[in-house]
This record gives sequence, C-alpha cells and structure tokens, in this order.
Amino acid sequence: MDLQNLEYINRLLDKDVDLREKIKDQVTELDKKTRTLSGMLNKIHSTPTGQLPSLIDSVTPYLESCRETTAALAELIPPNQFWRWKDMWSFSLRNAVFSATLVEFLRNGSLLSLSQASEVLGIKDEWQDRFALSAEDYLHALISLVNELSRLAVNSVTLGDFEQPIKISFFVKDLFAGFAMLNLKNDTLRRRYDSLKYDIKKIEEVVYDVSLRKLAPAKLNRE
Amino acid sequence: MSASLVASLSSRGSIINVFEHFRDELDDYHDRRERLIKSSRDVTSLSKKLIFLLHRTMNEDLTEHDDHALSLRAAARAKPKLQEIQNLFANMSEELPDDRFWRYQRNISPGLQEYIEALSFAHYLEFRRLISYEEVQRALSDETGKPYFPLPLEDYLLGLSDLTGELMRYAISSISRRRGRSKASEVCMFVRGCKADFDVLTPYFRELRKKQAVTAQSLEKIEDVAYAIAVRSSEYDIPPELLDDIVDRTVSNSVHNYDGDDHNRRRRGGRAKDDGFEDVDDE
Repeated sequence: MDLQNLEYINRLLDKDVDLREKIKDQVTELDKKTRTLSGMLNKIHSTPTGQLPSLIDSVTPYLESCRETTAALAELIPPNQFWRWKDMWSFSLRNAVFSATLVEFLRNGSLLSLSQASEVLGIKDEWQDRFALSAEDYLHALISLVNELSRLAVNSVTLGDFEQPIKISFFVKDLFAGFAMLNLKNDTLRRRYDSLKYDIKKIEEVVYDVSLRKLAPAKLNRE
Repeated sequence: MSASLVASLSSRGSIINVFEHFRDELDDYHDRRERLIKSSRDVTSLSKKLIFLLHRTMNEDLTEHDDHALSLRAAARAKPKLQEIQNLFANMSEELPDDRFWRYQRNISPGLQEYIEALSFAHYLEFRRLISYEEVQRALSDETGKPYFPLPLEDYLLGLSDLTGELMRYAISSISRRRGRSKASEVCMFVRGCKADFDVLTPYFRELRKKQAVTAQSLEKIEDVAYAIAVRSSEYDIPPELLDDIVDRTVSNSVHNYDGDDHNRRRRGGRAKDDGFEDVDDE
C-alpha cells in the first residue's frame, strides 16, 4: 500500500474511532438515566394506586433529562449517518421510550405515540438524518411496556386495586390488535411479538379471577 | 408535560391507524432490503466470473511470453465487465439516497467486497500495485464524479484482503510459465507487504482479523513453492533460462487444465516440477 493511501485510511479511521468513543460516552450517560428511570418505575409494583400520580411526577424530571443526551448525540452524528451509528444506542433509547410510554399509560391510560415519545425525549424532526426514533425501536419499547403491564396487573391486585387489571387488559388488547396489523419478518421484533400472547394470557387470568369474585366494579366493562 | 399537547392514542381505532402506518414503513424496508440483497448477489456473481476471466487470460496463451502483454489483455477484457457491475451499483444507488445507505450497508457489503476484489485484481495486473481507497471510490461514482454512495472503509479493506488469495492462485498457476518463478517471488513480496499493512489495521475490524489468517495461509503457500524451487534449482547448476525451457516443455499441457481448486492446482504444480527434473535426469 503506498504511503499516501495508508495515511488517508488512517485519517478516516482515526475520525471514526474518535467519534465512536464520543458516542459511547453519551450512550453510557443515557444508560445511567434509563437505569435510574426503571429503578424508580419499579416502585409502581409496590405503590398503592392513590400514590401513583406523585410517583409519576417525581419520575418526569429524570425522563426529561434524557433530552440533554439526545441533543448531544444529534450534535455528534455527521449528516446522513444516523443508520450507521444507531445500533450503538438502540438498546438504551428503547429503555427510555419504554419508560416514557409507561408514564403516559399510568398518567392518562393511553398510548404515547411515536411523535409524542420523540417530543418527551427532546428528539427534533430536523435531526432526521442524524438522530431519530425509528419505528422499530418504538415498537420494541411497546413490547417492553406490555411485558411490564402484565406484571403490574398481578401486583395491583395484591395491592388491592382491582380496576387496574381491567384497564390494562383493554389497553393491551388494543395494542395487540395494532401489532397484528404488521407483516413481521423473522427478526427480533417478531420473536418478541410472539411473547406478547403470554402476557395477554396472564392479564386475562387476572381479570378472570377478579371478575369471578366480583371484585371489580361493573362500570369499567366497556359499554 | 408538553407532550400532552399532542393527542395521545386512546381508542383502538387510532391505534390501528398508526400501526397501519408502521406496517407500510416496515414493508417498505423489508422489500427494499430484499431487492438490494438480490442486486448484491448479482454483483457477487459477476465479480466472481470476472476474477475467473482474469485468471484464464493470464494462463491461456502459452506462446505469449510477454507477461505485460497478457496483463494488458486481461485489463482490457476486464473493463466492460467492471462497467457492467458499476452499472448495477448505479441502479442500487437510486434505492439509497442520503441517510438510507447506512441502513442497508450490511446488505450490500458482500457484493461490494467481491467487486473490490475483482477490481483490485484487474488493477494489480495492469499497474502492479494496490488500488487506493480513493481510486475505488472514484470507480463507484457517476460521470460527474458524484459517488453512488460513500465507500465504507471496512468493505475496502476486506475486499483487498481477499485479493491476496487471488494473487496466491495467480502466482502458483503461473509458476511453470516462462519467468514464472520471478513472477511468483514478486507476488510474494507484494502479498507480504499487504499483510504487514493490514496487520496494523486489524484491531479496528473484527472481520479483517479473520481474513488475515487466510492471507497468512496464502502467503505461506507461495513461500513454500518459492522454497521448493530454490532448493531444487540449486541441485541443478543450470541458468534460469534453460530451466525455463525444460519446465516449459513439460508442463505446458497441465496448466491448461486449471480447475479452480487450490489443492489440486498446488499438487499438479508440484508434480509438474518433478516431471521437469526427471526429464533432466533422462537426458
């Protein structure tokens, strides 16, 4: 290899190595935040429903602190290279989105849309080719949400809240109907989607137990 | 939270609605991916054919003793084939505007590497040196010099790493030709240089580390052959030109039956040499 070419290659390489390091630092930051978030949100399984709103409020600032990291990442990524680097933070970002969707469900009982999730995490539309929330990552986060809600259905009954499982059941069935619209290939999303039915089964069993014993108020059953 | 300004999805209808959108997006992704994988396979198959064509050209004409003339013939034959492959890349680039390239990079990289292997082989035969990163990027650009897509450094290096295997084949199959032995040692030096250059870069590319092992093997094969020749020629105190004549006479037929299999070729090469020396004994 002639010297000029070798130098050129080394320059390219140094640039990439440098960028990778910087991205890694930010991803570590994001990881720290999402770990704090999931630690806090784990308390929903032991918090009586009445106290959930204050728990949710205490989580919100941590959720919004992710905005600094997403902005830093968007700053780092060169134009048009979003897909080149995105695997580095996919996992952490999915966790952040999962927390955001869980907060939205607990607060309003509804599904946080992709654009809302981007907004919560401060991801701007104009970053599209550098940093964005991809449909795939969003869908992965939704599956984590269902996994978590099936656990919550069980634990809310233990805490004496018999309405929560029924709310969860409606919500998860709607989501499942949504997932059924997709043509999934044999990838990780497909495998995780296949796991949803076990979550639904678990939730259904809780709802069955609760209704059988007439523990839940009848008004909640959808007209 | 500001997010609550945008309506969240609370009815099944609205949820189904957004998932329909996701379905279109995922379908588009999977379909494009399939198309690009198919194109990448076409590139691979054309590149492999081109590599065989180059080997054939370098070995077909036993009356042509000017290696340079053969190389130019090979390079000239390669031109239209390379153009054909470049056209495939031009078509693929339409599927890959802006940020989309990196999403599908892994799907097209097998073809890209095979193409770089073929391109660098043709380049080596013509100029006797390694094609540079910028030269490959230029080959992957339209008439105005606009790249079809950015050339990933990894694909460039992995493509070149495969070149060493082709050079080993080239060196060994041409060893029985006139001046083939000096050719082999020239290639040997060149491959040694490549290996040393790549060794520095292996920490950055996992795939390259694996390929380096193959390169080391190729290098060893060439070295073994060079050794065998050095040892045997020392037994017979004759000038290299005379040895050329003897070897030429005896092995010209077997070289024709090039079948692409390393092991066989190597064995045949070895036996051809033995035959040559037996002839000397008989005389």
